[in-house]
Amino acid sequence: MEFNYTVSQVAPIALLPFFAFVINAFIVKKFTKLAVAISCTAIFLSFVISAIIFNDFFFNVYSADYHVHRVFDWFNLDSSLGLMPFKMGIYIDNMTAVMLLMVSGAAFLIHLFSTYYMADDKRFGRFFVYLSLFTSAMLGLVLSENLLSLFIFWEIMGFCSYSLIGFYYEKEGAGNASMKAFMTTRVGDVFFLLGIVALWSVVGSVSYVDIYNAINEGLLNGNVEFLGLSVSLATFAGVCIFLGTVGKSAQVPLQVWLPDAMWGPTPCSALIHAATMVAAGVYLSLRIFPLLELGGLLPLVAYIGGITAFGAATIALVQTDIKAVLAYSTISQLGYMVLGIGVGSYNASFMHLITHAIFKACLFLSAGSVIHSLHDHHTHAHVQEMPRMGGLRKKMPLTFFAMMCCTLAITGAPLFSGFVSKDRILGDALLLAVDLGGSWWGPTLLGFGGALLTAFYMFRMMFLSFFGAPRDKDLYDHTKVEKFSINRNFPLLILSVFTLGLWFSGSFTGQGLVKVPGVENKEWFKTTIVKPELSSLDKFKKYSSDSFSQSPVPSQMWEKSKYDSTYGLSEEEAHHIHHVHHIGAIISVFIFLGGLILAYLMYVKKSLSPAVFVNKFSGWYQALLNKYYFDDLYIGKLIKKGLLPLNNLLSNFDSKVYDRYFIDGWAVVIRQLYRLSNFVDSLFVDRIMVDGTGTSVRFFNVILRTIQNGKVQFYIIVLFFVLASYVYRVTNF
Amino acid sequence: MTLYSYLLISLFLFSCGIIVMISRKNIIAMLLGIELILNASAINFVAYSRFLSGNIDGHVMSLFIIVIAAAEAAVGLGIVIRFFQLKESIHIDSAAELKS
Amino acid sequence: MFDSFLFYLSAFLTCFGAVLVVLERNLMHACIYLLMSLIGTAGLYFTLGADFLAATQLVVYVGGVVILMLFAIMLTGGGLENKKDRLANLLSYIPPMGSLKSYIWGSITAVAFLSFSINITTKLVKSTEINGSIKIGPTVEQIGVKLLTDHVLMFELSSVLLLGALIGTAIISRPSKEIFLERK
Repeated sequence: MEFNYTVSQVAPIALLPFFAFVINAFIVKKFTKLAVAISCTAIFLSFVISAIIFNDFFFNVYSADYHVHRVFDWFNLDSSLGLMPFKMGIYIDNMTAVMLLMVSGAAFLIHLFSTYYMADDKRFGRFFVYLSLFTSAMLGLVLSENLLSLFIFWEIMGFCSYSLIGFYYEKEGAGNASMKAFMTTRVGDVFFLLGIVALWSVVGSVSYVDIYNAINEGLLNGNVEFLGLSVSLATFAGVCIFLGTVGKSAQVPLQVWLPDAMWGPTPCSALIHAATMVAAGVYLSLRIFPLLELGGLLPLVAYIGGITAFGAATIALVQTDIKAVLAYSTISQLGYMVLGIGVGSYNASFMHLITHAIFKACLFLSAGSVIHSLHDHHTHAHVQEMPRMGGLRKKMPLTFFAMMCCTLAITGAPLFSGFVSKDRILGDALLLAVDLGGSWWGPTLLGFGGALLTAFYMFRMMFLSFFGAPRDKDLYDHTKVEKFSINRNFPLLILSVFTLGLWFSGSFTGQGLVKVPGVENKEWFKTTIVKPELSSLDKFKKYSSDSFSQSPVPSQMWEKSKYDSTYGLSEEEAHHIHHVHHIGAIISVFIFLGGLILAYLMYVKKSLSPAVFVNKFSGWYQALLNKYYFDDLYIGKLIKKGLLPLNNLLSNFDSKVYDRYFIDGWAVVIRQLYRLSNFVDSLFVDRIMVDGTGTSVRFFNVILRTIQNGKVQFYIIVLFFVLASYVYRVTNF
Repeated sequence: MTLYSYLLISLFLFSCGIIVMISRKNIIAMLLGIELILNASAINFVAYSRFLSGNIDGHVMSLFIIVIAAAEAAVGLGIVIRFFQLKESIHIDSAAELKS
Repeated sequence: MFDSFLFYLSAFLTCFGAVLVVLERNLMHACIYLLMSLIGTAGLYFTLGADFLAATQLVVYVGGVVILMLFAIMLTGGGLENKKDRLANLLSYIPPMGSLKSYIWGSITAVAFLSFSINITTKLVKSTEINGSIKIGPTVEQIGVKLLTDHVLMFELSSVLLLGALIGTAIISRPSKEIFLERK
């Protein structure tokens, strides 16, 4: 069947989960199993359609320029003249296709895992309702062709995150955490919307293609003036939109919500806080990359990414809850992605997004599997604290295998996907530091330091949980031995298969050093996904937007992709780049080994003691435990000392001044009006008109009464007078 | 003798009739007054016929006045008798039931 | 000579009779004074040359109407209640005029009446005798002719009127059912 990218073929990707959400919202109480089945089927069908699209993009037409851009007019602000049309539509290029496949695939596997994890929860069906809405929003976001529809889906996902984090609403912490998550991302979203409006005012549309063309034509070179400062429009818009990323992808300073988001169920953490929602922020930054480049914001972006990566890694060192370690690790890896954008490593940053999604989802799901198995009989809760675990390798071998694969991936072991992507980012950072020097060394060193810490704490987590002697004998004895079940182990298995580096790069190391025989030049990721940097925005002039009814342009028009890592560069430069990347790769390998050995010594061999470090750096230890006092700053100083008094002031003003004078004051006015109208009423209406009628009738009655007195002789007199007057009149006497 | 003498007589009779009608309280006395009035108008007609008109129409008119006066007296007295049977009185003020 | 004597006699009878009707309290006496006035009127008709009319007046009016009134007076027992000693109370001749309203109306009436009567009186004093253009003679034939040619409608209608009056009076003064039943 020919895939024409018509509405009915593309829209089901986002609409099928949405319909599942709508249907489930009604039937979830009565037909829970049916609702769950509908959700899972919907996401599987979305995955199938995404696979078809992926097939079309990467196996049918292998070109860097292949895209599908369809729009329709949603509404016009002035429909008679067609001014300010708000268009909606889809824009699918290679990046979108990969992202669609990843999102729908990961979402499907997480749906499958949730049927195991949430099976004994009494709100089992409700979880799937929220999951369906969430996946439909994420898929809509990936498909969207302009910033406005991206923002719409962004907000829907924010709401779903709020609902899912607060899923266990009996626990007080969950309610607070969900509110915190929503509000913190909201701060970023306000600036994001401001940035959208700023772009719209100049460009006239917020479609990606239109923005790229506008940047190319120099429309955004002007300045915007506010608060006495004059900043370039590109800088202003770029900062505002990047703040959206900062909020959603939990960068410093808005990273405070993601650790608290662990109050939600583990599959929700896997989907939202590993694979999809936090990746949406990075996706946004990837899309507006030329704007950031034009505004000169790339150093800022790199620093924020680097600080986040390193800082979160330091906090993860001291966490004892297994999900908290994973949460901080997520923040850290997101910092890597943003760092990658900052140093201009577009391709690798996107690859890290994809690979991180896969292995982090697998890590969260495995952690969920571990937690679900560890059931405390005394408190009837599941155990998440690592000090109570230990030696679980024998009890849960399959989960251990999946978790080990993913840990190797995240720490950057060679041959795994994490090494490919993270190493490329670090290599590009090193390249910029070596070439340009100066302030570019900051992000680079932060990146490498973070990698070392990542290796250390991830292996710490693994050694504490799975190796050694069990610390809580009672818990260990009651844990059942893991048996293979489709719901639980199949997703883990699939995800861990994809953590191999082979899927993403044709060589073992990703640098073209050691090639796998038979797959030469299959650097498919690098060749198809092209960085839209400022110098290469000309090609977007040819990108037209079709309406939804047309069929795609025949594929003969697209030239086959021939980008590789050294496209367009001279021989010398290519060699220099390769050289620096080699150095970076070697450093990465050493970092990985160093972290592994350190963790091994500390937690398995027990030759080094962590207590020594704790005592020596006790001040730092306290700071790390308090998460660098960010929460105290925000809640204690900003909210308690700043926002709440302002609230109280405003509410006092409202009730004491406004209500008293402007609202209640009307009662006094009305009372006076009543008195006036009462007076008028009693005088004019009652006395003059109502009583006056009676009085006048009585008056005339007195006069006229005498005429009808029943006396015949009086009538005769009157008759005589009238006749006499007639006679006088007639005769002119 | 002259026209005006007859007119004067007629005037006098008429006014006497009016006074009788107005001032007497007995219904039959009022009927007497009516007779006087009719009489006065008949004299008037005949006088004009004799002095100012060449024909005898005035006499005819007076004849009819007499006829009508007779009929009216009969009917009126019948009513008075009926009234007397009902009210046991022929005082004019006992016929004031139309008083408002 | 005889003309003027008859005229003055008839005029005197007429006027005096009328005055006495006004003044007389006793109803029977008033009726008789009306009789006198009507006879005087008949005399006036004679002086005017209306012989048939005078005769008719005497027959119908005097011999019919007044007798009828006498009968009615006797049937209703009228005139028996106003027995006062009139001579002792001379003030009773003055009609009562109490309120301002009656003074005003009375004065207006008096003015109007007086002006009218003075008008006629002055004309009477100033004028000479006007002889009528008709010839004095028996008028029966003329009246008969007029009745059946010029005024035939009125003639017929008056007969209808008389019929109606007859029937009406008979119905009105029919004795009521109780008296019927009583008698039975």
